[in-house]
Amino acid sequence: MHATIQKPIDEIVSFIRPGEKVFVVGCNNCAWKCHSGGEEETAAMADRLKKRGVEVVGHTVPGPQGMSLCKLDHTRKVLQEDYGEQVAGADSFLVLGCGQGVHTVIDATDGGMVHPGCDTIFGGETVSESDIEEYCSLCGECVIEYTGGLCPMTLCSKQLLNGPCGGAERGMCEVDKERPCGWVLIYERLQKLGRLELLDPFQKPKNHAKWSRPRTLKVSPHEATFCSQAGKVTVSNRD
Amino acid sequence: MKITKLFDKGKFVVTGEVGPIKGAVSRDWRVSPSCAQEAWHLQDHVHAVNVTDNQSAVMRLGSLAASVGLKQRGIEPIYQLTCRDRNRIALQSDLLTAYSLGIDNVLLLTGDHIQLGDHKEAKPVFDLDSVQLLAMARGLSQGHDITGNAIENPPDMAYGAVVNPNFVPLDLQLLKMRKKIDAGAEFFQSQAVYDDRVVDEFVEKATGFGRPVQMGVVVLKSPQMGAFMNNNVSGITVPDEWIDEIGSVDKSDRKKKAAEMMGRFIKKHKDKFQGVHIMPLGWTDIVPSILEKAEIDTTA
Ligand code: SF4
Ligand code: SF4
Repeated sequence: MHATIQKPIDEIVSFIRPGEKVFVVGCNNCAWKCHSGGEEETAAMADRLKKRGVEVVGHTVPGPQGMSLCKLDHTRKVLQEDYGEQVAGADSFLVLGCGQGVHTVIDATDGGMVHPGCDTIFGGETVSESDIEEYCSLCGECVIEYTGGLCPMTLCSKQLLNGPCGGAERGMCEVDKERPCGWVLIYERLQKLGRLELLDPFQKPKNHAKWSRPRTLKVSPHEATFCSQAGKVTVSNRD
Repeated sequence: MKITKLFDKGKFVVTGEVGPIKGAVSRDWRVSPSCAQEAWHLQDHVHAVNVTDNQSAVMRLGSLAASVGLKQRGIEPIYQLTCRDRNRIALQSDLLTAYSLGIDNVLLLTGDHIQLGDHKEAKPVFDLDSVQLLAMARGLSQGHDITGNAIENPPDMAYGAVVNPNFVPLDLQLLKMRKKIDAGAEFFQSQAVYDDRVVDEFVEKATGFGRPVQMGVVVLKSPQMGAFMNNNVSGITVPDEWIDEIGSVDKSDRKKKAAEMMGRFIKKHKDKFQGVHIMPLGWTDIVPSILEKAEIDTTA
């Protein structure tokens, strides 16, 4: 999921010009889990803006709980059909969701003016209702086979691939004494699994062209094509 | 001169360290930067002097400029190069530049994280790790860049690396040391050690790795500094006995005391290593006395 946190209300209000008519859009999946843009927060945002003198022409969270704002066909239908009138009267859309959701609203409104209501902070695991933690940095070239499934690109502050730096102390990272060193975690896990030999081979530098932006993925039931600055890679899911 | 030549001859190799100034070198040749003045205390007492690369992620004069400055003044530099601020293009280019400017020794490191320094909002690079950097440097010596393209007039320098004997679990640090050797590390300098047990455990396990290791020591200047290192400097632990001993004398006697303590410690362990790397943190003037107390004669 994409973790998001609302921007401070004063910052959001500063985006809106006097007299601008705003429609607030939330997301009923990730932003709902983050309490940054679910149904309650979206309705609350409409009220908070009104209280600060902003003209809010409507608000919605497209779809039932679990439905993502970033599903374009659905969001387009909701905004253009179900909320067609209010949307037509809006000068801009305040989006309470991730950056993908913001772009989805641009597409769904055929190029409407948007304001980001959140900072998108990472892709994470919903560890509990109150905890979202980052375990993958979406690098496009996964190396965690040799680290027991723990990502050195994410859990190591320096993204080291061949073992730890010298900075860890008492198992904690040199950058933050409250956070375990990713390489100590990897080592202890592989030791427990009896698979320390996985760490022996030299790991070559990452191909950062696969981590270029923007990237696209074309999918069909039988194959997918990943397109980055490293070129196109097509993989079949059937043979 | 490559310091690997000294190791090969069986010499006990002594190196010091200076940090480039926060600022530029004066155009007036009569004004020497403080790091050069520090280095002069080391001249004739050590075989080479490390020049740190924006140490602790604090922005300073470049390590290459300072290394070249030392070389011109007759002091053999060990140019430190870290992965923190350069991608693979810049790292390779800097290695070629270093060789072209007369550098013979390079210490290749990951580098302290930006969060430890004075530019916390900068973008950390870490395109390569230190093992990959060593492998890339070896590639350059063999005549090709990291992509395999041939290069003209390959550089020929000695490549060193670092290891931290204080690291727990030590076996994980040694795994990295092994990888550094496989990638081309020709000699090692250790992170600062103060603890006899740490030294002995490390030496026992690292013996047989087949590369010379210099024991690293940081001159302990005051009890406050000991406490500071324990709280703020990653990967170093200063035992209470050390802190108490340096605190047992008046401020005015601390240099003398520090020289005595460091000398004693080095003397005790020198036979287990192929050299010592002394990080005086500005007190380069006491290095001759440390060496004397450690009964090390670099002129021999
Ligand atoms: S290696 Fe890349 S893709 Fe795999 S978990 Fe880490 S960041 Fe994600
Ligand atoms: S202490 Fe561990 S997690 Fe932190 S940068 Fe070093 S190796 Fe990575």
